[in-house]
Amino acid sequence: MARYGMALDYKNCINCKACEVACKEENGILLGADAHRIWVGTGEIEGQYPLLDLTSNTFYPSQCQHCDDAPCEEVCPTHATYYDDNGVVRVDPDKCILCSYCMNACPYDARYVDDRTVTVDKCNFCTDTRLERGEVTTACQATCPTKVRIFGDLDDPESEISQVLRTRESRTLKSHLGTNPKLFYLL
Amino acid sequence: MKIEVSRRKFLQGSVALTVLGGSTIAVPNLFSNEEEKAKPKLNTKTGTGEAEEIATLCEMCVNKCAAIARVENGRVTKLDPNPLFPKSKNMLCPRGNAGIQALYDPDRLKYPMIRNGEKGSGEFKRVTWDEAHAYITEKTLKILDEEKDNRSSFLFCAGEGMAEHTFRTFYSAFGSSNWLNHASICLMTVAAGFSTTLGSYPQADLDNAEYVIMAGANRAEAIVTPDTMDLFKRTQRRGAKLICVDPRFTNTAAKADKWLAIKPGTDLAFVLALTHVVLTEELYNKQYVEDHFNGFEEYSDLVISNKYTPEWAAEITGLRADDITEIAREFMAHAPRSIYYPGRRSTFAQNDFQLRRAMAIFQGLSGGIDTKGGLIFGDKIPIKGHAGLQPIYDRAQARASGKKDELVTGEEGYDDCAVSTPAGSWIGWRNRYLEDKMDYNVRGMFIYKHNPVLNMPNSAKTIEMLKKMELVVAIDTMPSDTVMYADVVLPEAHYLERTDPVKTFGGLEPSIAQRNKVVEPMYETKPVMEILKGLTSKLSKPMFEITKKYDEVVQEEVSERGEASVFAEFDISQPFQETQEALNEHAVHHYHGAAEILKEKGVYYPNMDKYFKQTSVNEYEYYPENKRAYQVNGGKPKTPSGKVECNPANLAKVGVDSMPMWKDEYNYEVPKGKFRLLTGRHAQFTQSGTSNNAMLRDLMIENYIWINKRVAAKRGIEFGDMIEVSSRVGKTELKAYPTEKIAPDQVFFIHGFGEESEELTWAYKNGGNDNAVIEDVIEPVYGAAAMHETNVEIRKV
Repeated sequence: MARYGMALDYKNCINCKACEVACKEENGILLGADAHRIWVGTGEIEGQYPLLDLTSNTFYPSQCQHCDDAPCEEVCPTHATYYDDNGVVRVDPDKCILCSYCMNACPYDARYVDDRTVTVDKCNFCTDTRLERGEVTTACQATCPTKVRIFGDLDDPESEISQVLRTRESRTLKSHLGTNPKLFYLL
Repeated sequence: MKIEVSRRKFLQGSVALTVLGGSTIAVPNLFSNEEEKAKPKLNTKTGTGEAEEIATLCEMCVNKCAAIARVENGRVTKLDPNPLFPKSKNMLCPRGNAGIQALYDPDRLKYPMIRNGEKGSGEFKRVTWDEAHAYITEKTLKILDEEKDNRSSFLFCAGEGMAEHTFRTFYSAFGSSNWLNHASICLMTVAAGFSTTLGSYPQADLDNAEYVIMAGANRAEAIVTPDTMDLFKRTQRRGAKLICVDPRFTNTAAKADKWLAIKPGTDLAFVLALTHVVLTEELYNKQYVEDHFNGFEEYSDLVISNKYTPEWAAEITGLRADDITEIAREFMAHAPRSIYYPGRRSTFAQNDFQLRRAMAIFQGLSGGIDTKGGLIFGDKIPIKGHAGLQPIYDRAQARASGKKDELVTGEEGYDDCAVSTPAGSWIGWRNRYLEDKMDYNVRGMFIYKHNPVLNMPNSAKTIEMLKKMELVVAIDTMPSDTVMYADVVLPEAHYLERTDPVKTFGGLEPSIAQRNKVVEPMYETKPVMEILKGLTSKLSKPMFEITKKYDEVVQEEVSERGEASVFAEFDISQPFQETQEALNEHAVHHYHGAAEILKEKGVYYPNMDKYFKQTSVNEYEYYPENKRAYQVNGGKPKTPSGKVECNPANLAKVGVDSMPMWKDEYNYEVPKGKFRLLTGRHAQFTQSGTSNNAMLRDLMIENYIWINKRVAAKRGIEFGDMIEVSSRVGKTELKAYPTEKIAPDQVFFIHGFGEESEELTWAYKNGGNDNAVIEDVIEPVYGAAAMHETNVEIRKV
C-alpha cells in the first residue's frame, strides 16, 4: 500500500521526448501520433523575430495526473476506471466499453483509445511492468536525460518525493477543478 | 490543415503534427520481409517473467551512452540507461530508446548482395558470403594489376562508430593513401581551431560553470553527453546563466537567459567585439595572460587597431552593441567559471577555423582553462591498442591530391587546402575525382557505415562519383541512398548484435566502456571484424602476388629471405584473426578484473567499486570531488609551448591568417527574394541514420521547412503546403512550417530526410534532403564543407 505520485522538475525539460519513447517501448504502446500516454506540451512562440518571448516556449512534460478525485473515474459507467491499492488510476480492459466518457471528462487530455487493448488507455505509472518487477522508477523517469521526474510514495515521509515536496514549492495543474492531482510541478 | 495546439497536439521545435503521412510501400524484393514490411510497427510490452539483462553501448548517434538491454525469449524488449557510465550519467535519449526499432527494422540489410542492374537501380541479387568475397577479390585484383599495385587506386571511407577502428585497420593493411571520414563534414575545424590555439580540443565543465555562452551549438537538441544533462539542470536562474547565440530560436534558446539572434556566419565578429571590450576595459586575467599567452601584444594590437568595437560588430552581426558589451563584462566577472562553449558541429561558414581560434583565445583571456567551471582537458585511462599491420608498398602512391601547379589554395578542387590531414577534405576529394584532376586512377572504394549521398553537400555529385567508381563495396546495416549505388553490399550486424572494440573515454570522470553483444546477429549479418576476416582471407595471398609482380623491393626481399617470410609482413588477414572479445580482454588486461567487469557491467574505471554511489533516486556519484580531473596540466594550455597561441608562425607559412580577423567577404548578404538555408540537428534524429526508424518517426513524421510567418503570409504559404527549395546545385521538396523562430531572410530544415532509396519503407521520399540543395563550398583551411553558405529560392508547389 502506497500513494504514488510524481514530482516534475519541469524547468529541466528540453523537450527531447526520451520519456515518450521509453514509455512506448516499456508498455508496448501502439505507434501513431495521437496514441500515447505521455507527452511534452509547449505553446507556440510569442512575439516577432527576433523579439520573442523566451518563456512562451516553456516545455511542460505531461500525462495522466493521477487525481485523487479523478473525473474520469467518476463518469465511468462500468467502473473500468478505478483506483488501485496504491492510489494509481487504472483501467480494466475487460470492463471498458469504449464509451469515451472518460476522455471527455478528463481535464488533462490524458486518455486515448488504444487499438491494441481496445481500451481508453492512460498512464499507469508502469505498474504492470516495472513496478511489478520490483523496480522503483517508471520508464520515463529512468531514461530522462535531465532528470525531470521523481516518482515515489507520497505517504512515506522519507521518500524522496515527499522530501522534495516539503522543501520546494510546487503546483498542480487545474487545481481549481478539485481533482487533487498527484503530479506536482516543481517551481 | 489547421494547426491544432493542445496539450497532446502541439507545435514543437521541428513540428511533429498529427496526421500520419501515407507511407509508400516499396515493391517487395529481397531487401524486406514482405509479410512484415507493410504492417505498422509493433513494439512489445515488457514482461514480468524471466529476462536477461546485458550491458552494452548505444550506437544511435556518436555519444556512445551506456545501456542495459532487457532480453526476453531472445528478443530485446527494452533499453534502459546504465547508471554506471560517467559520460552518459544514467540516461538514454529518445534515439537510444528507439534502438530496438532499428534492430528489428524490417528493411535492414540481410544478405550479401551483388548488383544486378544499372548502378543505382536498386536491383541486386542475393549471394553467399563466399560469392561476395570472390566477386570483390576478382574486381580488386583486376584493378590492382592494371594499376601496377598502386594500392591508392582504392578509396576508403567511413562514418563514425566504434567499429570504424576495425575498418580502418583494413585500410592500413590494404595500403591505400586515400582515406575519408566524417571529419570534414563534421567537427574538423572546431577541433583544429582549438588544438592550434590551446593544444587540444577541450571539454566544458558545465556542471560547475556560472556563465555559459553557447553560440552555434544547440545542446538541447543536438545532444552531447554529459554536456546536455549537466547544463540544463542548472539553467533558468539555478546556477548557470546561459547566453544562446543562434540565428534561429532553438530549444536551447528556449532555456537561455538571453537569446541573441545573430546573422549566420558572423559569430567571429561577435567574438572579436567581446575581445575588444575585455582588452580596452582591461577586464582580462592579466596574470594568466602574462604567464600563459604567446602573441598577446600582436593580437591585442590587431583587435584594437582594427576597431573591432561592439558598435562595429553590431552592424555586421545584427546584435545590439550594449548586449555585446554587457556579455563581455559578465563573462569576465564570472571567470574562471565562465565558458565560451567550444561546440561540436559541422563547419557552417568559411571563417569557422578563425572563429574557433578567436573563441579559444577569448576563453584564455578569462583564465578559464584547465580549471573547474571552465574548459577542461580531463584525464584518460590508457588501454592497449589493437596491433594492426602496415606493410610498405613501394608502388602505392601518396594521397591523391590535385596537380598542385594548377590549383590555388582555397579554390574548389584543392583537397589539401592550407592544412593537409589524414581525414582529408571529402568534398574536395570528390570534386577533384570527378574533374579528373588526380595524378593517378582511383577506381574502387570501400564504404563502411557511411552515407555520403545524404551526408555531403551536393548529393548529385556524390551520386556521380559512386557511378564513376568501377567497384563500390558498402558495409552497412540499412539500404541507404549510398548503398543503392554499391556493386557489392555486405550486411553488417546491428550494434546490439555485436561486441565492438573496447574504448576509453577521457574527461572529468574518465572511464572505459564496452559494447557487448546482446543478441545473435539476425539473417546473414556479421560484425565488421568477421566480414573483414572472410574478405581478407580471400584477398590476402593473390594481392601479394600482384605486389610481387610489380614491387621491386618486395621482389628483392623475396629472393633474399624467401617468400614465406616476406608474405608474413604482407598478410592482410592477420589483424582479423582474433575475436573482438579476445582483443578487448587484451586491451584492458593490465587492469585486474576489468575485462570481466566490462562484460558484465559494460563500464570500468579504477576504484569504481569504491567511488560509485547512488546519491538520489536519479543521481549517482562517479568520483569523489577531489578525484575529478578538473586540472591536469597546471592550468596551462596543452600546446607545446604551454601557452595560448594567438599568433602561431606555422599558419602564416601555409597562407592562413595567423590571427583571427574579420574580412569583408565574411559579411552576411542574401540577394533580394532569396533565403539563406540553415541546417541542423534534432534530439529525435541522428543525421540520415535514423530516418527509417518507426518509433522516431512517430515523434516527428517528416522534416518541415521553417519559413518566417510574415514572409509565408505574404507569399500565401500555409502550414503543410508543399514547398520546393532550390539552389544552383539542385532542389528538394518538403512541407512548410511558418514560424517566428526564424528570420525573414532565412529558411531552415533538419538534415537527414528525403532519402531516395526505395528500400526504406518509412524514409523513402519522406521530407526534404538538405544536401540536394546545399552547394559544395569548401572551407579554405581544412577543406571542410561549409554548410551555411547557400542561398535558396522557395516556391509553393
